[in-house]
Amino acid sequence: MIENALIIPTGDEIKEGIVQDTDSPMIMQQLINLNPRCQVVRSIPINDDENAILDAIISNIESNLDIIILIGGSGGGHRYSSTLGKDFTHSALETILEQKYVGEIYGKNGHLWCKLLCGKKDSTLIINVPGPFKESKAAMEAFVLAYQKSPNNLKSINEAMIASVIQQYPVGIVK
Amino acid sequence: MSDSQIIVQADKTVVKITGLNIKGLNTTQLEDILTEKLVSMVRIIGVTGTSIEMDIYGLDDPCIIKDEIGIIKAVSLAEGITASEVAQISFAQKIIEIDYKNIPPKLDNACMKERWL
Repeated sequence: MIENALIIPTGDEIKEGIVQDTDSPMIMQQLINLNPRCQVVRSIPINDDENAILDAIISNIESNLDIIILIGGSGGGHRYSSTLGKDFTHSALETILEQKYVGEIYGKNGHLWCKLLCGKKDSTLIINVPGPFKESKAAMEAFVLAYQKSPNNLKSINEAMIASVIQQYPVGIVK
Repeated sequence: MSDSQIIVQADKTVVKITGLNIKGLNTTQLEDILTEKLVSMVRIIGVTGTSIEMDIYGLDDPCIIKDEIGIIKAVSLAEGITASEVAQISFAQKIIEIDYKNIPPKLDNACMKERWL
């Protein structure tokens, strides 16, 4: 049962208030629906920087948290667009998670659309969700359902979240 | 190493609009406004204080550029965006497809900037 949760939004546009953080309240609601007694904390948004993300996780990992949810930074920018930034939430999680399951969605143009991880650091479950609200909401809903079925099955949680994100787009699956 | 890798195919055009003043944008509201106007799905994929970048599904770049004024007017209806006199579509390009076999392998030992893909 999730009783203590931390939400970490990432991205300069969130930190500077250029874009409203609509994901955090939605995630908080999902966690409260899962367990009405859950204590949910939303941290100060952090820059999309691998070291900043790692610091945020490490500094909170010993706080008796059942779960840390990171928002945003799940893509890779456009491979053929120099204007989009590269994302680092997933790469930070790759380096820190001990047990983990990883799902990646690539576009036919070769860029990484979305990379979601579900893993553990010590006894804390750590997941990430995409920044766009509709994908974030779908991923969280899938997480809740999969977690309720089997809270320790990282693979099924990750696969359910990835599948829910794909369903938000008008796409065909190539492979 | 990823445990599952899925490759998807989409018909979409990447569009960037510059010359905007943005503060407190609700991206979902903007996506809904543009989706209703274009009758195509829109996803906002990048926002700065002066620009937005989005994926528009099912519309080619000439159609989008032809409706530049209408799109900018629609964008300026969103809460948190003001279009300046120099607002314009500065980039519109249908995505380039590649053979998925050409997707490069991940560089596990590369530096932070090289490891993102």
